[in-house]
Amino acid sequence: MERKGSKDQVFNILAKSVRKIVQADGADMEHIQEIRLRTGQPLRIVRDNTERVLPSEGTPHIITKEELRETMEYISHYSLYAYENELRQGFLTIEGGHRVGVTGKVILEREKVKNIQYISSVNIRVSHEFIGCADGILPHITKNRQVCHTLIISPPCCGKTTLIRDLIRQISDGNQYVKGCSVGVVDERSELGGCYLGIAQNHLGSRTDILDCCPKAEGMIMLIRSMSPQVIAVDEIGTSEDIHAIEYAMQCGCKLIASVHGLDMDEASKKPVLGELIRRRMFERYVVLGNSRRPGEIRGIYDERGSVLCRE
Amino acid sequence: MQRVIGAALILAATGGAGYVYCRELKQYLDRMLYLRYIMSLIRGEIAYTHAPLPEVFAGVAARVKEPYRTWLKSTASEMKTRQESGFARMWNRSVDKYLKPLGLKQEHSILLKEPGTFLGSLEKDTLDHTLQMYLNRMDLETEKLREGLAAKTRIGGCLGVMSGIFLIVILL
Repeated sequence: MERKGSKDQVFNILAKSVRKIVQADGADMEHIQEIRLRTGQPLRIVRDNTERVLPSEGTPHIITKEELRETMEYISHYSLYAYENELRQGFLTIEGGHRVGVTGKVILEREKVKNIQYISSVNIRVSHEFIGCADGILPHITKNRQVCHTLIISPPCCGKTTLIRDLIRQISDGNQYVKGCSVGVVDERSELGGCYLGIAQNHLGSRTDILDCCPKAEGMIMLIRSMSPQVIAVDEIGTSEDIHAIEYAMQCGCKLIASVHGLDMDEASKKPVLGELIRRRMFERYVVLGNSRRPGEIRGIYDERGSVLCRE
Repeated sequence: MQRVIGAALILAATGGAGYVYCRELKQYLDRMLYLRYIMSLIRGEIAYTHAPLPEVFAGVAARVKEPYRTWLKSTASEMKTRQESGFARMWNRSVDKYLKPLGLKQEHSILLKEPGTFLGSLEKDTLDHTLQMYLNRMDLETEKLREGLAAKTRIGGCLGVMSGIFLIVILL
């Protein structure tokens, strides 16, 4: 399902000349996954897992420095200073939860990345909202209409954010597999809710409270103290602080839904702090995603012992 | 009797013109002070929320009076629709379009357009310093206006009355 206005949100951040070419291609936003702009290189889009150079007929359009500068002006709403923290991580999220990755010259301060200047590449990853994409998973991650502690493991671009978003919506609203309950979402990069001025642009359910742009570890503790959620959802856990906060939340009676980068369960269990949680069987379900056939392909759902519950 | 009434009317008219001139000078200074207040609100909002400029302008617009409110609101909505490839051009155009009724002198209009060259393109700390320096310059301009105001008001008032008396003498 394509979100209302999603097409405009992405098109509007492209430099006018680039926008024309992408629009002339008749690109269907539902199928576009990435738009890549590199200075001095052809304009490329990834659609249905296939990379194409634009325009499809005639000479490829070469991206100029000026087009990249214009695109960055649009992306940042003419306010680069407002995105300094995000740029430090190499990406920023625009309205609708679309992620824009950037590379360029890195400015260091005390051996830490302070900012990126002379931006030379931009990768726009189009966020898609597929209502119902978690239908096949929900029966396996619930018990007695209650959600289990679940970890979604997936390499990048396999649809874990899309999946987690639909899980949040279904758990929040409730259905035959799960009783509707309050869900607290810590949306550090505004990708789950795609919040604009604090209001979620994506459907996250009627019982969902979102902490937008909040660091995950701090946000989880804040939610437990302030909103008493029954389920907490976080995307892309990574640091040891995140994992300690997850453990704390689990011990507070909240059910956890989290996602992490990884190829499979073995790889996830080798991660320094997360591995310890997996060995202690803190998570009750593991969902492993892949994209060999399509993004969001379920490679396997496992229980806490690692036994297969379901495979696509 | 008619001569007396005529003389009184001339005196009232020229004195009134002098008063209007003085009031206009005072209002001009007030307008400059209000613009300075708006820029300080923008600076504060940027420093506190770190929000993008359209959000900052929309937030400040809600706290100021007309025509400044329309100016900031319209600039914010133009930025949201990304109508211009550069911020400076958009800022200049909106200053010309929405602040025309203020009747700013050319040097003050140029001063007001200056933030277009740095707002949004600098990093947080530098932007804050630059805005502070800009506010200092605005203070200097308003101080200049204030200094001249007392003398000009006195001269305006006197000239109004004196020219009235002069006209009465000639006509009588």
